[in-house]
Amino acid sequence: MICLAGYSLYKTYQDKGQDIRVLIDTNLEVQRGEFVCITGKSGCGKSTLLHILGLLDDPDSGRVVVNSAELSSRHASAHKIRNRDIGFIFQFHYLLEDLSALENVALPMLIAGEAKSKAFQEAGSLLKRLNLEDRANHYPNQLSGGEQQRIALARALINSPSIVLADEPTGNLDPQHSAEVWELMFRLNRDLEQTFVIVTHDRELARQSPKTYELKGGTLI
Amino acid sequence: MNPAERLFLSRYVSDPKRNLLRFSFLFMILGIVISVGILSAALNLFEGYERALRSVLLDSFAHIRVVSADVDPLSGAQASDVLNRLSKLPEVRSAVPVLSSSLLAQNGDKARSGMMQAYSWENGDENIFAKYVKKGSADLAPGKVILGHYLAQDLGLALGDTVTVSFPRLDLITPLGMYPNQRPLQVTGIYNSGFYEYDRSLLIGDLEDLRALTGVSSGFSSLELRLHNKFADSAPTLARKYNQILGREVYALPVINTSLLSLVRMQKWLIFIVFSFLVLIAGINVISGVLTLMLDKRAEIAVLKALGASSKSVRNILAWQVTLVCLISVILGQLFGLLISWGIANQNIYKLKGEVYFIDRLELYASPLNQVIIFVVASFLIWICIRAPLRRINRMRIIDLLRNP
Repeated sequence: MICLAGYSLYKTYQDKGQDIRVLIDTNLEVQRGEFVCITGKSGCGKSTLLHILGLLDDPDSGRVVVNSAELSSRHASAHKIRNRDIGFIFQFHYLLEDLSALENVALPMLIAGEAKSKAFQEAGSLLKRLNLEDRANHYPNQLSGGEQQRIALARALINSPSIVLADEPTGNLDPQHSAEVWELMFRLNRDLEQTFVIVTHDRELARQSPKTYELKGGTLI
Repeated sequence: MNPAERLFLSRYVSDPKRNLLRFSFLFMILGIVISVGILSAALNLFEGYERALRSVLLDSFAHIRVVSADVDPLSGAQASDVLNRLSKLPEVRSAVPVLSSSLLAQNGDKARSGMMQAYSWENGDENIFAKYVKKGSADLAPGKVILGHYLAQDLGLALGDTVTVSFPRLDLITPLGMYPNQRPLQVTGIYNSGFYEYDRSLLIGDLEDLRALTGVSSGFSSLELRLHNKFADSAPTLARKYNQILGREVYALPVINTSLLSLVRMQKWLIFIVFSFLVLIAGINVISGVLTLMLDKRAEIAVLKALGASSKSVRNILAWQVTLVCLISVILGQLFGLLISWGIANQNIYKLKGEVYFIDRLELYASPLNQVIIFVVASFLIWICIRAPLRRINRMRIIDLLRNP
């Protein structure tokens, strides 16, 4: 079953008066439970594609379908889809500095309107599963890079989204922490059948993925 | 309120030092504290002035005066009749016959014109002047007099001194001209009502002394009615009602200046409206503070939106932070206003000009209702200034915020 798809996606940027076409008739279908990696050179449009699929940006033309519904970032219910159906992990963890690890993880559930007690309980369980329960009350600046990114992963997972999109999730980590995060994502995909679409420039890591695409010349190969 | 908004609100409250004390808020806080302080001080002082003036007007003056319908004094029989008819009415606090006359008060080579009044306390009514006698005694006897304190000061008189009062008797014209009737009176009390006109011209004396001076052997100039304070504003209406009760021989005149009180009240609220614009000007700092906050928190706004928070929810999360800072600033401003008004009311450098403002002292009165009104109005104006710039969040695109955090 297709849970995320992009059809005939086009995107052009203006840079110093020149048109830079990053997506040219790009198509992608992601089945439920798949683990998909997208690689490519820096600036080739990998992150742009992920932002469009995650309803954070809009293509110049083309369609994005999330769980059979055609959507765009400006759609009235886009924020609800981003909250419930899509989990997003950024290259920079983007944890909120004023909230503890537990509160950061619980935030999407609270945004969804769930009670604080239920959200905190769920966040606590997730942190335990990711071996971070002793870091629950730490603030982001008290955590290591790997811990921050694992907290960001827990935040992306808390609402049990149908798909998790990760934009260079280990781009800022050292090899050891990077391996930890990748292993965790593989494990979640294997054990819970969590769907992942991951953008990375690290071909070595991408090689471990069951399905890998390369974005080249604006098209997925 | 969304649970996520509640989480942020609880964070702001539980850790105000981390969340509310930001350098970018400094000028916003100062602007609010100063503008609300000025607004609050102005209202406190005007409220104090209004209350002081009202108190003096209601306590020192008759509210309604009953006089004879012709030019003659009110006869003793007429005064008794009016007393019988009106003194039992529930709104009437006291009814006292009074003889009054203009005269000249003199001490050596200093002389001032004044008004002497003498009351007939036979009915056991309260001595309404007693509480304003700040020096000496309020008790009167033949040969004794109570003076307004400015009059005493102008004539250089102290307690125990003698003032000579002269009355030009038209019935005592001699071949050498009009012969004034004079009488030396001992000052036994100094009167200070705070109402300038009274304090600079009033003499309160014994009825027999004044009869002897003026030659009015019987009867009274008028009968002074004082109403309970809650009826004071209705004096004109009550005077009309009494005229229907009293018949044609006597006439009831409202003498309390209700329009003056209305004018002062209106002036107070006009000042409030004008000074409220100061809060609006401080609101410009608030707008600037909110815009700075939005710039500082671009990444946070992007993340919240990316996690699925609606624009409204993001607006509320930021608004609560600024709102809490502003509400605390408004309260601080009100306290600052109290401090300013206390300082002004207790300073000795500047005194009110009694001949202009009727009373000569500034008083502070921080009415709880006024404080609530200041808080509500200032908070409302600031709330608008917080909400207006936050509307820009609707137009902020997540991708732009992420690319330029």
